Formats: sequence, structure tokens, C-alpha cells
Amino acid sequence: MRSRRNAIAFAVGVVVALVLGWIIFPRVLYVKKSQPVDFLHKTHAEKSGVAECSECHIIRDDGSFAGLPAMEKCAACHADKVGDSKAEALLVNNYIKPGHETPWLVYSEQPANVWFSHAIHLKRANLACTECHSTYGEADQVRPYELNRISGYSRDIWGHSMSRLRRAPHEGMKMSDCENCHEKHGVDVGCLGCHQ
Amino acid sequence: MKLTRRDLLAWSAGAAAGLIVTPVPWKVLDDTSIWSQNWPWIPQPARVPVEINQSHCTLCPKGCGLRVRMAAGWAVGVAGMKAHPISRGALCPLGFAAHQLKWHPQRLRAVRHHGNASSWSEAQAAFANAKSEGPVVIVDGDPGRAASAVFESFTEKNRGEYRVASAAESRALSPYQQWTSVPAASLGYDLENTQTVLSFGAPLLDGWGTPGFLTRLWAEKSAGTDAPQLRIIQIEPSLSRTAARAWKWMPIREGSESALASGLARVLLEQNLVPAHGPVPSIALSEAAAHSGLSEDDIRNLARVLVERRPTVAIAADENPSVAALNVVLGSVGARGGIVRRETISRAHISANTVIPNARAVLIDSSMPWDFVPQTDAEIFRFAAWNGGPTNADWLLPAPGFLEELTDVPTAPALPVETYAVAPALAKPAYELQSAAQFLAGTDSNLSSTEKIIHQRCAQLFRNRSGTLHGQEPIAIAKIESVQKLEEQLWKGAVWVGEAPAPARLPCELKEWPSETTLPHATGWTNSWDVPVLPPLASKLYIESSLREAPNWRNA
Repeated sequence: MRSRRNAIAFAVGVVVALVLGWIIFPRVLYVKKSQPVDFLHKTHAEKSGVAECSECHIIRDDGSFAGLPAMEKCAACHADKVGDSKAEALLVNNYIKPGHETPWLVYSEQPANVWFSHAIHLKRANLACTECHSTYGEADQVRPYELNRISGYSRDIWGHSMSRLRRAPHEGMKMSDCENCHEKHGVDVGCLGCHQ
Repeated sequence: MKLTRRDLLAWSAGAAAGLIVTPVPWKVLDDTSIWSQNWPWIPQPARVPVEINQSHCTLCPKGCGLRVRMAAGWAVGVAGMKAHPISRGALCPLGFAAHQLKWHPQRLRAVRHHGNASSWSEAQAAFANAKSEGPVVIVDGDPGRAASAVFESFTEKNRGEYRVASAAESRALSPYQQWTSVPAASLGYDLENTQTVLSFGAPLLDGWGTPGFLTRLWAEKSAGTDAPQLRIIQIEPSLSRTAARAWKWMPIREGSESALASGLARVLLEQNLVPAHGPVPSIALSEAAAHSGLSEDDIRNLARVLVERRPTVAIAADENPSVAALNVVLGSVGARGGIVRRETISRAHISANTVIPNARAVLIDSSMPWDFVPQTDAEIFRFAAWNGGPTNADWLLPAPGFLEELTDVPTAPALPVETYAVAPALAKPAYELQSAAQFLAGTDSNLSSTEKIIHQRCAQLFRNRSGTLHGQEPIAIAKIESVQKLEEQLWKGAVWVGEAPAPARLPCELKEWPSETTLPHATGWTNSWDVPVLPPLASKLYIESSLREAPNWRNA
């Protein structure tokens, strides 16, 4: 009787821990944030004829990656309102007219001790943008940015799956993901390849 | 049903067991480690576009080419410059981590007088007072720079004394100064054309000379073959990294290098393996064998190997007249593949002995290793970017650190060709800093600034119309349109390389065989850096990695 009672208490403990760990913990760990402006890559591709990612996310002549386009790039078309959407009004009134950079939340932002060359991966390894960034550029709605309350980085770095099992190839940007891909392609860059 | 203590324990055990198979412990551990990288007191560069600058390392006189990534005036990453004609993309571990030195915990941030906080004006006043009362001795650890010219000019005007500390590679060449009347600073090893190198403990593949220079030659001509074009024979008591990679390693007793060099010379002369050159060493072969721990046959065989594939050159780890005399016997002085004289003859300077009598003040430049402790009654003004620990200096003066001041980079020790480069001030100094040259200019407004001297040197290079400028593409100086264009290229990280010297025999007079000396313990790149400055992790990383080689894959 006593051992049965112990087993039940043990099982309850296991179940509570599993519920806490797999269901409640992810909801507590990540907080959803909205982008300052609802930006849709798809709309820009369709309406403005922007066909390549590199048209806005340029690689400079010296091989460095410019990252997000600066405000001037947006202002070239949005100096005045294009259309009458709420997002358009927000962009023009809050950022373009006052000349403030839009504080985009970058899903793929890495810690400062990592050096990553887009030029090498795109031009030498011939990787497509979607291999790491998925097809988010074709999405018809803005994804929420999920901030990790402890690390301060996006959920995209770990990947959506908490167990990291059965992830899609583009999911996750941890160091182990870089290492696995490098191993798969037989490219050895050592520690200082990225941490230089 | 009443909950008991036993129930609670069983429940806790279950919860603990369950928790292990949830992401909680692993995720919290992972996220906490990332969080700890971003603590508010850890300097974080601004998230701005990163610029790539080419420059040169000024942490030691070797002047390796650097590719520096900069963000908002901060150096955030350093790699070797693959296009550099000498270092070829290789760096020592300190160079690789140099951008972190700005934040080193031992960084000198303010003027200290006898350990107490002071100011630049008080230091200037104390120095001006000392200068007016007696001679000033200036000690320079990296001679030949524009700052060195300021020091020389100051001491000449004020009847002081200018002393220099040479690198071990230069000290190994110093015996020839007496025999050839050419200053050691104007001599170098023509290793590109050497076929056999006999190293007496010199860490040739472990930071000797400019990192990357000899390792490249080794990789091209020696690695992975039993019949290499370049034979490196390492004479060393222990199996060092160089010994492990050498064509042949001959372990000998510590301190017996001079005896072995003399014994080899005796065999070479007695067996007529070389034409007779000057005096014969008095040491008998049996004595050399007894001292070194090698057999007489080993020494005879080694002597034959030395003349099998010539040119041959013997390299000592430090000053060793017997090893230098062996080169005279081998006919390697002033010969192709041996010891050659560079185009321009430098001035010979007084060596920086630690005993400094009859001085009112001693000014130590920040280029001097921290372990240089002068034995003197004079007032000591020590410039340093990093505090190396206890010191007998009266004044500790914070100097600009890595990339924080404009300086020039003259020819590295032991190179056969002349080089010249400029390292501009790329990073903003975080504190109120002054170099020794700036400090002296503060006491004497007639002294030229380092910037002015660098301009003059660039103008001189342009007027000479000799050599090649290695920037994006190598270009002959004669094809450069103006001195401004030359300066522009040098400021962007280009390096001027002079013409290779034509083989010309150096008149070398060896009147008597040098007396036997004990070789100082061979040290590599760490000899200039005390433990507080070079973190153990850096040396560990260096030892465990292959950073010594100039990698062909690194994007430099």
C-alpha cells in the first residue's frame, strides 16, 4: 500500500515536471514582441519588383554584409506615404520623416563574439538565403519576434522546437548548427574562423 | 487523505526525474552562458557597419600585417594579412587577441607616482626638473621607429644617452658587428636561398623572426618529405615544436651549444671539408662530444651533412660567438643563403644594460619588456600600456596601446631585406594617454613629432625610387606618381619592401676563436610578455592550435 502510494506521488511529480518543462517553461521563457512596423517581404517583391534579397541586403565591395537596409533605402520609395495602410503611416510618420532608423528586431542576430561572413557563404559555398533564413521572405504576415528573456536573443537561434529534434534544415542558428553544416560540407575553419 | 513527508519526498524525486527529460536544465544552462557574455560591464561594440582596415602589429618589432575589423572606432577582430610579403597572414596568439588588450584588466589608465594617483602635469614637471639637474638615459625596445629618432634627437640635444634593447634574433647577429664592422641591426639571414639550417636552440618554427616567414618556407620546402629542399637540423636538449618538425633533431646537454659549434668547426677544418678560415678552435673533438653528450661520430657525420647541401647557415637562439664563428668557417657570412648585409647601414647603438650609473633620470619606452628592471639611483619614468606587476619605477605613465597611436614599423630583426610600414591610430584611446615621444615633445617644443618624421621618411622612400610597395597589388615605387599617393597607400596598410641585397662578401676578420659561452635558455615569442599581460588561455590556444602557420584558407 505504501509503495503504491509512493509510486503515485513519484508519477505525479514526473507529470508535473513534464508539464512545467515542456508546456509552461517555453511560454515563460519567450516573450512575443511585435516589429515596430509590419513589414512584408512578399508585398515588396510583388509590388515593387524586388526580386533578389541582395537588392536590399547588400554585400559591400569589401565583402562585408550590410545587414538590414538603412533608412535612406526605405526613404527612396517611402518619402511620402505609399498607400494608406496603418503600417505605412507608422513608417513615414515615426521613422522616415523624423529621420530615425527603424528599430527592427532581428530574428537572426548573433552575439558580438561571432563573426559570420555572408559573402563567403553565398559566393564561395553557393548557399541560398533560404537555407538559413527559410522562406520567411514569402510569408504574407509578419512573424512575431520571440525574445528569450534570459539570453536576450531571438527564439530563431535555438529554433522553434524546444527539444531541437526533427527540426527543418533552416531551423536553429546555434554553434552546433554551424559545426554540423561545416562537417557535412567538409569545411574546417577552426575556432578562429568565427571567433576572431 | 493526509499528505506525509514521505509523499513529498517521492513527489520531489519524481519531479526531479521528470525535469531532467525536459528542456529546462539544458536550456537554462545554455541561455545563462549567453547571458553572461552580455553583462553590462562587458564592453560591447555598437551595432554599426563593420569596416575592414589593413595595418601592422606594433606589439613587438616583427611588424606582422594585420586585417583589423573596426566598429565605431573599436577594433573588434584581428586576423593576419595574407597579402603581407613577410608574415603572409600568420600572427602570434597575442596578435590574434590584440583587439582585447584595450580592455585588459592590467591596462594602465592613469599616471601613478610611487603607486599613488598623479597627473601628466606633475610628471612633466618632475621630468623637466630631472632634465635640468643631470643626464637623461632613454631606453628603447624597438629601435628604428620615428619615435626612436625623437629619443635620439632628445638625448643628443640634452647630453643624455640613448640605449636600445635588441630582440634575440638581432643579438644572435651581434658577434658579426665586431668582425665585420657592420651593425647587427643591418644584418639578416638570407633564408629564402638557404638549403641547410643548423639551429642551436632557436625556436625557428615557434615564433622566431617574423611569424609566418620561416614556417612558410618550411611548409613549401620541408614539410612531409624525407629529402627536403630546406633541411632544418635542430640542436636542442628537449623535443620542442621546432625539434619535432625539423628534418633532424639532435638532443644535446643544456648549455653545450658553444662546445658543439666549436667542435663542428674543428672537424670541418681538420677534415678539409671547408677552406681554411682564420683560427682553429682549441677544443678537442672528444671534449665537444663529452660536453654535448653526442658521440664523436655524430659530430663528424653532422659536419659532413652541413657541407652536403649548401648554402648552410647556423642560427643561435641568442648571442653566441661560437655559433657565429661556425658560420665564418662555413663561409656563410656575406654569402647567398647565409648572413647578408641589408642595403642601408643602421647606426650602432649602446645596448640596454640594466646597470645605468651616472644618470639623473631614466625614461623607459613602452616598447621595453616589463622584465627590464634598471639598476640605478636615477628617477625612473616608465611608459607602459599594461602594468606587468611590481616595479621599481618612480613614475608609471600610461602609454597608447594597440592601434591607439600613429607609429611606423621599420625592418624586423634578422630580415635580409628592408621593409617599411605605417600603423595609423585606428582606435580611439579610452584614457588620457601619451607616448614617450609625445611626452618629450611636451618638454622640448623644438623636437620633431613622430608624424613629421614619418612624412620625412615617406618622402625619402619616394625620392629613392627603389623597392616595391605591397598593397592590394605589388607596385614598383618608381611607378608611384607622388609622395602623397605613397603615403596614402602606406596609411592604408601597404608595406614597402626594398631590393634584395646583391650577394657581396662581407670582410669578416676572426682573429681568435671566441671563448666558450653558455647560451641563455631559448625562448620563443613569450619572452617579451609577462604572465599578467599574456593570459594562460592565449598560450594554451596557441600551443594546441596551428596558428603559427600562415594558413592558405584564412580569409585575410
